[in-house]
Amino acid sequence: MSNQANTDAATLPPLANRPLNIGSSMNDDASRLDALAKVTGAAKYGRDVHPANALYIAFVRCPFGAATLESCDVDAARAVPGVVEADVSKRQGNYHGATVGHVAADSPLSLRRGMAALACRWKRKGDVVTTIEQGIEAEPELPVDAKAMIEQAGDRTLDATYSTEVQTHSSLETHGACVDHKGDSAVVYVSTQGTSSARDGLDEALGLPASKFEVVCEYVGGGFGSKLNGAGKEGMLAARIAAKHKRSAYLFVNRAEEHLDTGNRPSSRTRVRVAFEADGTIKGGHIQTWGGVGPNRGGGGVNVPSGRYRLGQITTAHADISLNGGMPRAFRAPGHPQGAFAEELMLDEVAARCGLDPLALRLRLIKADAIREMAELGARLIGWDKRLVNGAQAGPIRRGMGMGVTSWGRFPSSVDAEVVVNRDGSVEARTGTQDIGTGQRTVVGIVTADAMGVPLEAVTVRIGRSTLPPGPGSGGSVTTVNSAPAFMEAGKAAATQVLELVAGRTGAPVNELTIAGGEVRRNGAKVMAWKDACALIPDTIIGKGRNTQKTVAADKTTGTSGGAQFVDLDVDVETGVVKVHRIVAVQACGRVVSRKLAESQVIGGVIQGLSYALFEHRLLDRQTGAMVNPNLEWYKIAGPKDMPLIEPVLWSKDKEAAGPRPLGEPPTIPTAGAIACAIYNAIGVPVRSLPITPDKVLAAMAGKGGAK
Amino acid sequence: MNPFVLVQPRSHAQAAKVMAAGGSYRLPVLKAGGIDVLDHLKEGLLSPDAVVNVRRLGAEGPAVTRLADGSIRIEAGATLAQLASDPILLADATVVAQSAGSAATPAIRNIASAAGNLLQRPRCWYYRHAQFECLKKGGSMCFAVDGENAHHAIFGPGPCHIVHPSNLAPALMVLDGQVHLTGSKRDRIAAADLFHMPDKGILSEHNLEQGEVITHLTLRPRPTSGFHAVKAKQSFDWPSALACVSLRVEEGVIREASVCAGAVAPVPWMLPRVGAALKGAKATDDAAIAAAAELAAEGAKPMRDNGYKVALLVASVRRATLRALGRETPSFREIRP
Ligand SMILES: Cc1cc2nc3c(=O)[nH]c(=O)nc-3n(C[C@H](O)[C@H](O)[C@H](O)COP(=O)(O)OP(=O)(O)OC[C@H]3O[C@@H](n4cnc5c(N)ncnc54)[C@H](O)[C@@H]3O)c2cc1C
Repeated sequence: MSNQANTDAATLPPLANRPLNIGSSMNDDASRLDALAKVTGAAKYGRDVHPANALYIAFVRCPFGAATLESCDVDAARAVPGVVEADVSKRQGNYHGATVGHVAADSPLSLRRGMAALACRWKRKGDVVTTIEQGIEAEPELPVDAKAMIEQAGDRTLDATYSTEVQTHSSLETHGACVDHKGDSAVVYVSTQGTSSARDGLDEALGLPASKFEVVCEYVGGGFGSKLNGAGKEGMLAARIAAKHKRSAYLFVNRAEEHLDTGNRPSSRTRVRVAFEADGTIKGGHIQTWGGVGPNRGGGGVNVPSGRYRLGQITTAHADISLNGGMPRAFRAPGHPQGAFAEELMLDEVAARCGLDPLALRLRLIKADAIREMAELGARLIGWDKRLVNGAQAGPIRRGMGMGVTSWGRFPSSVDAEVVVNRDGSVEARTGTQDIGTGQRTVVGIVTADAMGVPLEAVTVRIGRSTLPPGPGSGGSVTTVNSAPAFMEAGKAAATQVLELVAGRTGAPVNELTIAGGEVRRNGAKVMAWKDACALIPDTIIGKGRNTQKTVAADKTTGTSGGAQFVDLDVDVETGVVKVHRIVAVQACGRVVSRKLAESQVIGGVIQGLSYALFEHRLLDRQTGAMVNPNLEWYKIAGPKDMPLIEPVLWSKDKEAAGPRPLGEPPTIPTAGAIACAIYNAIGVPVRSLPITPDKVLAAMAGKGGAK
Repeated sequence: MNPFVLVQPRSHAQAAKVMAAGGSYRLPVLKAGGIDVLDHLKEGLLSPDAVVNVRRLGAEGPAVTRLADGSIRIEAGATLAQLASDPILLADATVVAQSAGSAATPAIRNIASAAGNLLQRPRCWYYRHAQFECLKKGGSMCFAVDGENAHHAIFGPGPCHIVHPSNLAPALMVLDGQVHLTGSKRDRIAAADLFHMPDKGILSEHNLEQGEVITHLTLRPRPTSGFHAVKAKQSFDWPSALACVSLRVEEGVIREASVCAGAVAPVPWMLPRVGAALKGAKATDDAAIAAAAELAAEGAKPMRDNGYKVALLVASVRRATLRALGRETPSFREIRP
């Protein structure tokens, strides 16, 4: 068997399953409101703001995993023309990228010269810890109950260790801030996931009361959880220097610093010891996890068992291992992809040991009915019936299929929404949230338009300013979930005020009036053009909406978004190269606001999961602790040719949910696990370590270190 | 990056004069597409006082021409994109078109030049980062030996373990390429003599002298030639191993074979034993081709983390040979929406 026939291509419908999603949302066809601004460059990100006469700032950083600063010529740096400040306050660094000081100068060139003049001489310290394995003193003993259960199960046990590497957020717009200082006031451009919260603490740093400055964040080039820390140390330093010199100040980190010191998804190691029955029922056991974190412990949790499957009596234990590497931060579903990888591959290994189809086993173990139905749909769409048993193929190219499931719960967040209607009929929707690339600006517009009955084009969305009513941070998949109800309320309130004016003028009862097609109508017949109705407004109308913990608590419908993903791939067993062909992602997200944006979230989550599964790896040099790949060349991220055909299926049966439900995080959770299962299916041995690179595939097939 | 003078010469000869030792500039750097030169400037590995831009020289004429003696001429400034789609190469020097077309990304191929591709510096992550004072930068140790060496050389005694990064160089090697020069007494150097191993000089990989500038390349046509590279990632990635093969086939039998690998040794790595084993094999004899390819592994001395590259090299050699013969090679399914 050499080339496998291209049997599937002809049976794939055009545009895959997207027709399934048609008609599922409030607005199926809207494109992003800022699409044109973004692709033409008209959109100005914080990083693009360069006020006249600004100071440029850079951190002085430790270049190794652990080192002592032996000498550093601060005076020489201060003597460089244009340098206004050079300060090195620390003498030690315990990770590559640790900050020990800074230089500020009146141009990027002076800054560069000032940094060079420091001529820092670092002496490396002896041993560095760069992997979790290095930091584990001894494999832990099994707790007594688990031990008894496993001994009793005899052969029907699995003892397997799964590991994942550090993934950096790699935001395209790096972390930083620019302070436009105007003497007794300031505008602070921050690249943040929390416009409203980024204001906190800046007052002190700027030496200005909160009423005298504004945080502006119109566009954000990605965050994925790494920009939830207010103005960050970048913004705080820029603010302090701006205040001190009464000048504008600019500090955005470069690509290497972005990898080194702006957070990451920590590495993980998961040792699973479980007992099962002949039919695959899992009796239980013990799962020990470790997280590879920064010099300080914390943030290394691994979410396994996920609770999505019935796994019997499982006990767990966790330990963080301190590495000489940059600290973790929240990263799109923190702890989940690493946990799901271990859990899904474990299930496939148990299924194989019992001679079971892994889908059949999962359908029995999945707890939520909705997820089981999604798994059945996904299996049909991927063509699961074509799946061969593990390792049944010969020849250089082998096909594999795998699956995984996901879920994410709803977290409350408070949102204040305002909808303004002007006398000319134009509408403004306002809240202090931000669009980190998810399409939040467009979501706010669509919900407002829908609530009022006006076309999307009539709505101007104002977000990304701390002077707007407080809006939600973008983390935990809360933004749409919590802002949609607020804008529905605000939109309705604004519309009602207009209709009351019309009722007052025409005598029609207000509850019989509606807005549609650019008109105010009664029983479907035109009463007045929208413009004429708005001309009745004495000044402006402001409709208000508010979402709080209470609003969320009062909504008893399901708050969880489930999902199931299916992968079809090829493995070239002569080279170990993996090519993912198709991923079907069935995903619930409650009421869909925008079909295109929802699909786009799912596709993005899948891409990030695929990249995590096959490529991404922060590699610390075992001798010096320096990251050897702080770039986008050797820190590999999936590119266009690595893209499978991704088929997002929006779960239309989610009637249990009253409104929009979480969507940012869940689609990135199961992808890596599903890919690992598909690779296992293709080659017949599990590769238990991410990323699954050619060397690991070849080693597993050669019986070295794959399945034990 | 420090300020520098940008020199725009009107000919390669003029560029050579500016570049010559003892000229007006202390540290002039020649730039073609600049893909690699700019990386060096940004990382602070080069601080030239003059950048001599040869990018547009010769751009008005054809990139590739057939010469009266039957050989093929490639201009120094021809872009990889031009080479990949050139009808002369596609017909008669397939391995060059294929190797150029497989390098880097479409955007880079539109800018990167043939000469620049040959003379680009290695991608070793210790060499490329300023804080590592490695042998190649005049330091005292090779950090890869006990450090992270998954992408380093599987051939050669060291002391530096870079791999040669060029896709084009091994293609040129199997077609008896000549590199034509201006700026010195000699007017050419054989591709086979262009590079040296680290033990013959570590600070540079090639044997050109200061002030020598490449004007064009010539090579022997060989329609039965082929290229194969293995990359972990299919976009924006470097080959983990690649092979170039050129064959002369008569009546279904391989009469001559030249095989060269890339990304596995500090220089383009000729595989004469593979070539010898292919000689006399029938073009349809898969077993003989596979057995010959296995010989590519001879003499490999992998480092701790790069043993997998041996298998990738063998697969590349076999697939490049099959491709040269117009045979099918293992490939992934094609799935289109
Ligand atoms: C993401 C990425 C992926 C890549 N992948 C690959 C790959 O798969 N395969 C591959 O082969 N390459 C790859 N490259 C490298 C790229 O192809 C080379 O950097 C490029 O070909 C260099 O050509 P240039 O014209 O830009 O050279 P420049 O950067 O201008 O010059 C490179 C060197 O050549 C010298 N030089 C240039 N012209 C002449 C001349 N006429 N005479 C004498 N010296 C000259 C310069 O002085 C300099 O030392 C990749 C690069 C990147 C960034």
